[in-house]
Amino acid sequence: MIVAPTHRLTLRIGPATFRIGSAWRRPIDQLARLYAGYPNAEGRIADFTVRLDPAGPLRRWLRPSIFITGDHGLADAAPMSLPHGLLAAEMGMNLQMALGWRRHLLLHASSVEKDGRALVMTGESGSGKSTLAAQLGERGWRLMGDEFALLDLFTGHVFPFPRLVSLKNSAIGVMEAEVDPARMGPPMRATAKGDIRHLVPRADAVARMGEGAAPALLLFPRFGHDLALRPVGQGEAFMRLTQASTNYVALGEPGFAALTRFVAETPAQAIDFPSGEAAIELVDQLWAALP
Amino acid sequence: MSKQTGYRRAPDDAVVVRPLDDITLIYHRPSGQTHMVVSPVPEIWAAMDPAVVMDADLVRERLALSYELDEAEEDMRAAIAAHLDEMAALGLVRRA
Repeated sequence: MIVAPTHRLTLRIGPATFRIGSAWRRPIDQLARLYAGYPNAEGRIADFTVRLDPAGPLRRWLRPSIFITGDHGLADAAPMSLPHGLLAAEMGMNLQMALGWRRHLLLHASSVEKDGRALVMTGESGSGKSTLAAQLGERGWRLMGDEFALLDLFTGHVFPFPRLVSLKNSAIGVMEAEVDPARMGPPMRATAKGDIRHLVPRADAVARMGEGAAPALLLFPRFGHDLALRPVGQGEAFMRLTQASTNYVALGEPGFAALTRFVAETPAQAIDFPSGEAAIELVDQLWAALP
Repeated sequence: MSKQTGYRRAPDDAVVVRPLDDITLIYHRPSGQTHMVVSPVPEIWAAMDPAVVMDADLVRERLALSYELDEAEEDMRAAIAAHLDEMAALGLVRRA
């Protein structure tokens, strides 16, 4: 027997609208609190449905265990415990974007904007791209997103997807030290991704979530190494970005045209850094040196 | 010398060639695949013609019109033949 979701919420993040249903109230209440400053999306046609269902018939009440499902699903997604319900909902939304979005070239990258130009940062999980974007977002930059950068297929501009910033492990303390506690989500310990705590982007990031920017700089950050800087050729940037895109193949020729334009017009650097402060200083220097 | 295999370049509207600073990208429309190639593949591609069947020898002669070829003629022919074989596997050229 499948229990129909009884708690629902519709959220709009950037250009995408999600209808989220849950068998439990708590994840929906947490989402409603953290997304309270986002535009009201009730009644909008949803692009995606995300459902948090009990993993088995009794798992709604007994050691509650969540199975993430929706329009696009992964057969081997592991169930999660109810205290991690907020993370399950966020992962569900990411999964729908990654598997289903076709209106932009979707890059697994963080991005921030200043003076109408975008800085895009891509790298593996743990590279520091998310924390660096969150820190820049508190220091005069507009946070466009910590997880996905949306590359417009016609204009070549980068568009925001400013969902909650997903802070992991040591990044949690870094951001707790500099933002209002009201902007932090509940701490979630020992998830499959380590300790997680969400951060609500600043109000301007949310208010301007429909506003794109021309890409000006592409960085491949790597946290935990001595400070180093290496120019990245267009071929390497192209190859790494195709690996960082979840829909490059699905988009076909428009995706090829958008990505080749992006790498041909955007200078790229690989940066290694030992700390957030060192990275921020380097980013400021690189940004100031742009033509 | 035995007769060489002849190839015809795929039609111009079947591919999009986009040179970047260090490599050349070739998007193959029928398959939707992107190929990253380096010299001499873009030069071989440019030397060929969709309307003309060419073997490695003829490709080498065409290349010699635009480039200074410093390898021995036989080595060059063998290298071009190997590239043509690879390009045929990708659908960029067809065996005539």
